[in-house]
Amino acid sequence: MSSDAVIAVNRFGMGARKGELEKASRDPVQYLIDQLQPISFNEKLPNSDQLSIHLANYQQQKRLMKKEPESEQAKDFAKQQKQIRRYLGGNFKALCCDTLFRSIHSEQSLAWRLLDFWSNHFSVTTQGQMMRVLAPTLEREAIAPHMFGHFHDMVLAVMHHPAMLVYLNNDKSFGPNSKIGKRGKGLNENLGRELMELHTMGVGSGYTQADVIEMAKGITGWSVARPQRDDTTGFMFRANGHEPGHRVLLGKTYRQGGETQGIAMIKAVARHPATAKHVSTQLARHFVSDNPPESLIKKMTDRWKATDGNLKEVMITLIKSDEAWHQERQKFKSPREYVISTCRALNFQPKKQQAFLWFLKSLGQSPFQANSPKGYGDIEADWNGPSAVMSRANWSAQIAKSRGFLDPVYTMRQLLGEQVSNTTELAVKRAESRPQALTLMLMSPEFLRR
Amino acid sequence: MKRRDFFKVVGGSILLMQSPKLVFASPSVTSGSNKKFIWIILRGAMDSLHTVIPEFDSDYSKLRPKLSKQITEPTLKIDKGFAFNPAMQNMHKLYQQKELLPIVAVGSGYQSRSHFDGQDFLEGGTGTQNIKSGWLARAVNQKQVEAVAIDYAKPVSMRGSRNVTTWYPSKLKEADDDVFATLEKLYQGDERLTASLQGGLELKADAGGMKAGKAKKGSLSELTTACANLLLKSKTMDCAMLETVGWDTHNAQHSRLDRQLKELDAGLLALKQAMGKEWKKTVVAIATEFGRTARENGTGGTDHGTGGVMFLAGGGVKGGQVLGQWPGLKPEQLFQNRDLMPTTNTFDWLATALSQHWSLNSEQIKHVFPTGKIYKDRIV
Repeated sequence: MSSDAVIAVNRFGMGARKGELEKASRDPVQYLIDQLQPISFNEKLPNSDQLSIHLANYQQQKRLMKKEPESEQAKDFAKQQKQIRRYLGGNFKALCCDTLFRSIHSEQSLAWRLLDFWSNHFSVTTQGQMMRVLAPTLEREAIAPHMFGHFHDMVLAVMHHPAMLVYLNNDKSFGPNSKIGKRGKGLNENLGRELMELHTMGVGSGYTQADVIEMAKGITGWSVARPQRDDTTGFMFRANGHEPGHRVLLGKTYRQGGETQGIAMIKAVARHPATAKHVSTQLARHFVSDNPPESLIKKMTDRWKATDGNLKEVMITLIKSDEAWHQERQKFKSPREYVISTCRALNFQPKKQQAFLWFLKSLGQSPFQANSPKGYGDIEADWNGPSAVMSRANWSAQIAKSRGFLDPVYTMRQLLGEQVSNTTELAVKRAESRPQALTLMLMSPEFLRR
Repeated sequence: MKRRDFFKVVGGSILLMQSPKLVFASPSVTSGSNKKFIWIILRGAMDSLHTVIPEFDSDYSKLRPKLSKQITEPTLKIDKGFAFNPAMQNMHKLYQQKELLPIVAVGSGYQSRSHFDGQDFLEGGTGTQNIKSGWLARAVNQKQVEAVAIDYAKPVSMRGSRNVTTWYPSKLKEADDDVFATLEKLYQGDERLTASLQGGLELKADAGGMKAGKAKKGSLSELTTACANLLLKSKTMDCAMLETVGWDTHNAQHSRLDRQLKELDAGLLALKQAMGKEWKKTVVAIATEFGRTARENGTGGTDHGTGGVMFLAGGGVKGGQVLGQWPGLKPEQLFQNRDLMPTTNTFDWLATALSQHWSLNSEQIKHVFPTGKIYKDRIV
């Protein structure tokens, strides 16, 4: 098995499953390119529209119960409330676990790594009931469909998705001179700023505070329907909350035109050259190295510009670049990568799927809990610390105990081929028990890094 | 418990004792002045005007017609016409006991309103964007003490020192001791993994069996209590860092800040209680990356601003007074007609606190805050 196959499967993919290295070694580059295909989810799980209706009913019931606590209806509702809460909470867990489960069992784990990358790029956090319902639907509904298309389509989908609109408060951001604005509601800069700073151009790329405000005004009225009052769900453009007049963003004027004004402005920042460089750098940093070589970033940025931000093409450029295939493992796995690659390695499936969430919590990276629109950190300094290493060791030992029937040396070959140091090889062979050998392998520098 | 003692207890082999890289066993660590310094960063930009309220300033309620009215409970009066938000009951008591020192209208010098750059700037302390070396790590190096970040990995403030470890509460069952013994060998040649593992083993014994009492899981009170226990158990660990998140109140600010401030308030009280008599020798510094807009926004909140407030707390501080210069809230007094104008620099206050509390001289302070000035008046 070639060392390139080990790199393909571990650095680009989510870690080897049994037999995977062999498949990859025929043509590691092509093996990866073939994985750049759409992914699918468990379609039996509810989407954001369905969940929003349940939540709206729940909240309406709650209001009535408060108003008329003694009514028959209120007593009825009291019983239903617990059920709806359980339904919503259960679905949050199920949606998070569906992604993890599919990452672990996928034969195109590169695509699932990309989903995690983009989901973290457009990070949303579960603050409050509404976000707990919406957060896990963003990656399924707005991100996954565009991972191999144009970046600006992904940005537009995210900016139209209730999860992002609610998380960064744009659902209630209205133009000061709009009808709603004159009734006392007003502007909130949050989404406009993070769109430019985090999602597209990057901080310090040349836009000003005035641009941030113009961007925010351009998307005033981009809101979320309230199912009962508006009789629909999802994105809703509230024209009477949109700031009238033209907007000037980065020196260019955007005419008044309702929702289309914001669309044009978002497209402009998503297709901006600074965005090509900013996001290419983040991709290179995620896949290759905490300090990716300039030459690699340039190749990706050039390809981005040449293809109008075609993400599949940018990925192919990354995969075909020599700079991505150095022998040294320069990336330290995040807790999420560590859990997924361990489960792939040991073919481990917890009895209850929800255990995944406990794993991630114990290791410090619960889904949709970054608590910041910047998402979780993506460099070694963010994850390699005393507490992190201790909790990984403890967790690995626990998992390894339940997989004591696996042959450690055979498993190690399946994961890392011959790319193992003598020290690791000896430690695994000389361990006092199979679970301990597996633990050491999982905690070896070769497996902690990629 | 020192690492050596730990291995004696668990029966580590002689070979392990010879491991070349001992994070904490370096002779550069002095055996503890017992003067503790604790740094709490509030991530997300706390709104200062809703926290330390300038009630004397007639422009305040004009800028915030709705937000100012949402404070219905009696505010907690302090000096110079300021008042604490009603959620800060314990902090107000600390103030009255002269153990809390608010400093108004401060800023780090960062002016671009990005949380993440703003936090890096505040944590780096060099007056530039830098995430490799933090001011607290440099202070720890100068003071030659050990430090713990209550976190999974080192935050920027704590980067750049070998004397820093991290700890976070965990419910996982511990792996066998010989797994850790073998991992030490496995990580030879991998400096960063070695450092992490050594740091983890160091705290394993100290943290073991540590209970956070009745505090809610993951709450600041739980973390400050645990933090105090770690500091009290060690002879050489005199420094710690904690963080809280959730201060980014773009909407529904009043109720969200109420929760946040109550958590901070309870966390500080828990810290004081857990530090026991050591609280007398403790200085806690609390700051946030920047303040928020002086005017309320359209969604019952405030957007990213510039000048804010910081606090020093602890038995060691000259509390019970409000420091800083109030710039006023008239449009022309605001920064860019938008934010509270910072009139003094956060780093100068931190430099002064460190220099007075840890007796760092001006040369040493230069390593910690290259741009920092030391005030003559005692604040500690």
